[in-house]
Amino acid sequence: MLRLCEILNNLQEKESLKVMRPVLRAADSYLYGSDEVTLGAPHIVDNLDSRRYMLMVVLALMPSTIAAIYFYGWRALAMILVSLLFGGLTEVLFAIFRKKEIQAEGLLVTSLMFPLILPPTLPLWIVAVGSTFGVFFGKEVFGGTGRNIFNAAIVGRVFITVAFPSLMTTVWQEPLLGGLGGFLSYQADVITSATPLIAYRMGELMTYSYTELLFGAAPGSMGETFRFGIIMAGIFLMVTKVSNWRIPVAYLGSVAIFSSIGHLVMPELVAPPLFQLLSGGLLFGAFFMATDPVTSPFTGPGKWLFGLMLGLLTVLFRGFSGAVEGVVFSILLMNAMTPLIDTVVLKVRYKPLERRGVPDNV
Amino acid sequence: MGEGVKVINKTIHGGYHFNLEGKPQDRLIELGLPSEVVIPLKQGFGREVKSLVKAGEEVKAGQIIGRDDLGISSPVHASVNGTVESLVKLESSQGSINAVVIKADGTIDWQPLAGHNRDWQQLSVDKIESLLYSSGVTSLSGKGIPTRFKTSFISNREVEELIVQGIEDDPYHLSLAALLAGERGDHFIEGIRILQKIMPQANIHLAVNSERQQMVKELVLRTGDPEWLALCSLHPKYPQGNEQLLTRTILGDRAKNSADAKKVVVLSVATILKVHDAVVEGKPLIECMVALCGPGWKENFHLKVRIGTPLKAISSTYLQQAANYRLIPNNILTNRAITDLSFPVDRSFTTLAAVSENKAKKSRSYSRTFLAAFNPLTEQGCDANNHGELRPCIFCGNCEEVCPVGIIPHLLDKHVKRNLISKELIRYDIFECIECNLCSFVCPSKIPVARHIKLGCQKLIDYGYKQQPAVDPEEEELVGDYYVG
Repeated sequence: MLRLCEILNNLQEKESLKVMRPVLRAADSYLYGSDEVTLGAPHIVDNLDSRRYMLMVVLALMPSTIAAIYFYGWRALAMILVSLLFGGLTEVLFAIFRKKEIQAEGLLVTSLMFPLILPPTLPLWIVAVGSTFGVFFGKEVFGGTGRNIFNAAIVGRVFITVAFPSLMTTVWQEPLLGGLGGFLSYQADVITSATPLIAYRMGELMTYSYTELLFGAAPGSMGETFRFGIIMAGIFLMVTKVSNWRIPVAYLGSVAIFSSIGHLVMPELVAPPLFQLLSGGLLFGAFFMATDPVTSPFTGPGKWLFGLMLGLLTVLFRGFSGAVEGVVFSILLMNAMTPLIDTVVLKVRYKPLERRGVPDNV
Repeated sequence: MGEGVKVINKTIHGGYHFNLEGKPQDRLIELGLPSEVVIPLKQGFGREVKSLVKAGEEVKAGQIIGRDDLGISSPVHASVNGTVESLVKLESSQGSINAVVIKADGTIDWQPLAGHNRDWQQLSVDKIESLLYSSGVTSLSGKGIPTRFKTSFISNREVEELIVQGIEDDPYHLSLAALLAGERGDHFIEGIRILQKIMPQANIHLAVNSERQQMVKELVLRTGDPEWLALCSLHPKYPQGNEQLLTRTILGDRAKNSADAKKVVVLSVATILKVHDAVVEGKPLIECMVALCGPGWKENFHLKVRIGTPLKAISSTYLQQAANYRLIPNNILTNRAITDLSFPVDRSFTTLAAVSENKAKKSRSYSRTFLAAFNPLTEQGCDANNHGELRPCIFCGNCEEVCPVGIIPHLLDKHVKRNLISKELIRYDIFECIECNLCSFVCPSKIPVARHIKLGCQKLIDYGYKQQPAVDPEEEELVGDYYVG
């Protein structure tokens, strides 16, 4: 009997399967690793590759994913699968069309993250539209993972927020709590019209306790409510150096500062800091999406500035805009500012040669 | 603890601590005399020397068979007793060099240098210099050991700082414990004392692996005088021991001035021992200690071999036969692999790594970036597998984190890849790069970052943005007073 790796190798050789080669190559390298060796010095390279790097993020998303199913039933899993399917299809078609390698690792993160920032009631076909749009316009048109300007999951989410505003902002579900929760049902069916943030804007002030917010008893987007798990996963990512600690610290810190100031001045519009931190998609955004290394500044001071601006924008959006949730918009906006921030930081950090006393044509 | 000996802790930013499988044990084994040796006429620092022997001539081990008193160089010796067979050309990474092939007669004795003295304090400075020169030891450093002969760009009286490097920072390195075992520790101190005598102006710095500082501290204490050298302890992370970096780490701002930097000499512990052997025992460079490292050898230990021993004489006995291995001398991150096994061991060899090609699609984990980083005792596997496919840069920042000179490798890489060769690159300090290759090593996207940076430097020079730095000893102007013999 042939082993799977041999079958994969044989299939890759076949001329009739030429179009499918990117898919087969991806499967082969995913399952069995690389057969390439270094060409000269350095003769050894670290075992870390981008696949493992991204898989750490997938691992960190697991608490949120499992919590999504627990709170909102197996329909949450259906949404995730639809997102993975359509995101994956887009990537595969693009790879075949452009005759490039499939970069499945980046795709996995995007397509898993995307449904987690959606309301649990969203029809599956909208999930498919959003996932396809996000992967296509958020990533592929720029040249794939590593070259994208915007976080692809956020592109998808903002697109459907703009295209289907009522579905995205008015229909929420109470999470299933107690016992096995959503593991025993397909979907939660108690409809509510307000997340804690919306309730605050409607003047109901604090509808949930901080403990309830921390452990996910309040309604919200699927993967954003189990905040305890998000914090743990975020710390895990920072400790393993997959994500940089500067952005979450700067982001959350600046939300705390600006909301304290805002709450003092206009308490009816700006929620108090701890409530801000523990509601909406702030923690999820700060730990998973703002830290995306590709779409955030690579310079240290740039990261601080990026986080600071994100916090300011989030408080402004939450307090004063039509949309109560400002995290995704803030991140999208700051993604666009990233190249500018880096350029400015580099200009300051590296003085011009003339001013360093280095003569022309050294 | 060593009271009275002050230890200064210093370090570079960045760097990477290797803990690879196949580190050599402290055991020292002597390789049997080879039947034939190939002596390259350029070994270590300095230019190629002229052969003094012809085919058919009888030579003694330790006899000088090549020297050149006009250019910067040190003599080359026959390493075995026997007959010169022929003069051949060797194709090495530095180009084509001439070599002398000697057929050994099987006797192991060697000719000591005239004038050596057990009681070296009796020797005049001139005599010590001439012993060092005629032993060939003067070529065992990046810039040569200065003497009144043309062995370096400066003369020994001008040396202001002498740095002895025992940091063990390279991925594979000679073990300090093996080098300084038993009486060798005292020989080491004597060696430094000898150099102190011929370099009267020099401040002496002893830079050691922080994990081994106790051993060295005791040696220094035994001299009874804690003041004559400055002991620095450095974490053994690569490339902490790089000559340029180490000078900067130890001397700070003083090293920035290029005229002052020229007056610094950096020597390894093994070289200091050779200094002792040359002056006290009259031993020319006829053999060297090579550590067999990496998973390709049957056993990993230190091997004493005669210089000129063809690699196949070592590999046929000690290399595992089963798989495909590449042999890399000294530093597996920066040096080229040797493909021709008839190539000889020369005096610059310290380690010889055998790294598996490993095209099999499975490998042991040796990443120290993730969870494994929390257990520094985890030994990392060592093979030439790429461990992943080439991907676009994801700005993970690993390269910037390990860069010992504080540049942003991925930024430079991007400029060079888009062929944006301009002053902007110089502004981003591309010429600070010391080519340690760590950025390529850590890149999860498997981008040959270091190669691109090197290419960028080369292009800048080609386009006239910067002059070619003088690397050829002949081009560099000589300073100081030289004895012309």
